[in-house]
Amino acid sequence: MELETALQSAETLLQPLAVEIKRPEPERVDVYITLENLKPAVQTLVDAHWGYLAAITGVDKPAPAVAGAAPDGDVEVLYTFANGGALATLRVRAPYTDAQIPTICDIIPAATLFERELIEMLGVDCIGTPDRGHLILPDEWPEGVYPLRKSFTGLNQE
Amino acid sequence: MTELKLDTPWQRALEQIKTWARVNSPWAIHYNSGSCNGCDIEILATLTPRYDLERFGIKLQGSPRHADILICTGPVSLQSRDRLRRIYEQMPDPKFVVAVGSCGISGGAFQGCYNVVGSIGEVIPVDAYVPGCPPRPEAIIYGVVALLQSLQKKPAAPAQPVE
Amino acid sequence: MENPESPQKFVVPIGPQHPALKEPAHFEFSVDGEIVTGASVRLGYVHRGIEKAAEARNYPQGLYLVERVCGICSHVHALSFALGTEKLAKVVAPPRAQAIRVLTSELERLHSHMLWLGVAAHEGGFDTLFMYSWRDRETVMDLLEQMTGNRVNYSINIIGGVKQDVSDEIKTAILKGMDFLEGRMTHYLTVVTTDETFLGRTRDVGVMTREQAETLGPVGPTARASGVPIDVRVDSPYAGYVDFPVNLIVDDGCDLLARFVVRIKEMQESIRLIREILDHLPEGELAVRVPRRIPENEIIQRVEAPRGELFYYMKSNGTDMPERVKIRTPSLCNWASVINLAPGYKLADMPMILAGIDPCFSCNDR
Repeated sequence: MELETALQSAETLLQPLAVEIKRPEPERVDVYITLENLKPAVQTLVDAHWGYLAAITGVDKPAPAVAGAAPDGDVEVLYTFANGGALATLRVRAPYTDAQIPTICDIIPAATLFERELIEMLGVDCIGTPDRGHLILPDEWPEGVYPLRKSFTGLNQE
Repeated sequence: MTELKLDTPWQRALEQIKTWARVNSPWAIHYNSGSCNGCDIEILATLTPRYDLERFGIKLQGSPRHADILICTGPVSLQSRDRLRRIYEQMPDPKFVVAVGSCGISGGAFQGCYNVVGSIGEVIPVDAYVPGCPPRPEAIIYGVVALLQSLQKKPAAPAQPVE
Repeated sequence: MENPESPQKFVVPIGPQHPALKEPAHFEFSVDGEIVTGASVRLGYVHRGIEKAAEARNYPQGLYLVERVCGICSHVHALSFALGTEKLAKVVAPPRAQAIRVLTSELERLHSHMLWLGVAAHEGGFDTLFMYSWRDRETVMDLLEQMTGNRVNYSINIIGGVKQDVSDEIKTAILKGMDFLEGRMTHYLTVVTTDETFLGRTRDVGVMTREQAETLGPVGPTARASGVPIDVRVDSPYAGYVDFPVNLIVDDGCDLLARFVVRIKEMQESIRLIREILDHLPEGELAVRVPRRIPENEIIQRVEAPRGELFYYMKSNGTDMPERVKIRTPSLCNWASVINLAPGYKLADMPMILAGIDPCFSCNDR
């Protein structure tokens, strides 16, 4: 499928569910959606056979630190689908206070490894994911410590 | 622990035979404690026809219980740390450790990373370090042969338990 | 060791220290007699925290760090990082640099596939092929050393271009090496497709049909051996692949034999591409200047590693250190296919099925 055609078809498919659609690079379309629309959006792309899930990326966006208060902010999760040369990214935000997103493993079973990494490295819970075991962190890693959060600066016990 | 009496001529001859066997045909085992595989590929390359480590009598095989030398690579990751200690303890005495690569010496490029201990020497006692990122197969052979030559000079002392 | 859920079955634990692969991982196969009924894998023995470490190093330091994610495919990681940083800074490296980058990528593909051929044959007990392919691999290692100065971790990329040039002597040496290797590739293809014992171990083993491949989501030669035509070099050409296009190698065999055939044919294609690049190497400089502080931006860069599609997401924040570097390696996508394919085959086939996807644990764990 031609690049522009592919990007256009992704935009058309996701237009009804999107809060905002942007084109940051020639081959990318970014679709900002709310948490409730995540699964319908993924289902739309899968039903239309629009490419395959390339990656699930978590980006930590801490709010500026306030003395004495617990760290605040949110984690943005990007679901990138690749179709030939075109990349469509679904972007959702999960705040630290309620860091939960619905799982997409019932639609795309292969996403379980990506979700496991997201859960353990950034502390975002994927509700309903089949496997929560540590993917890359060691067995003795303390609970509640998320290495990829900006607030993590190293294990202090050794 | 009972001291081995090395005074009688019979004991001395036995020690010499054991050293000769150990030096001329050591059995090695390889363990990757978290490295990027660069050093491991160069270790495997020493077995291949161009470098051919087996002509020195060194055989790479599978079980720690049969091994004289442990060739270890990588900055020790936290998950690997206990397994490395267990492998070292499973090896029968006398045993020697060769740490291959810069990661094994100081952590290499991964110094300060949260999941990495750093030097292999902090986990198990090391007898020879081979620096490089990765060291060439010739350097690895040199390191192992230098270790063997140092064994020829003195009989091995009983190993101290790991703290 | 009894599996408490169903006492008749037996769980075979393998690893992390095992003679099969050179990397630590822990496998557990539930077996019923000789037939495997379930498989699970514990990764994480090689996790070094590279994504976090990249946030504490500036871009050139990050280049050296990211090269050491994996020793076998170190150039593609550095290439992806360099291309990503150039995209963030909105600069483009000159054509000669892009061509040299592609030349090194193809040489790396050659050495990686030959390494894999040897290791996979070793898993199948075919040590002769292991020794022969690694001996021939030394030709490629010599060429890489001549060109870049090191056999492994040849850091030829810098942000903005390449460090070393390809002189005429190096060109002649590479062409001579390619002539030698072309003959060897034909020989390997004949061995792999006609040797009866080898065929017995690879034909109809580890079958993954095209529908299964599209659901399970593998990338790279594993997917191409099941007929799925994805290849980042063809779908979204980067660096020198725009000027020197690649042919897509796809096979419909869907079994382990097809994976062997696809990789050997890819090596033949790499040899052809290397010859073409050397014939038409563009003139020009080797690098452009890139500012130390990269303005705020975020990009996605995909590159075809020898094992499949390598995905980099990078975000800059105006300083000289990246805000976020996300690396999604191809081996992570290929795992699902092994775990789902393993049941139904004998335990003795497991090492070869595992080797068929070309797993790279250090890439997985980062």
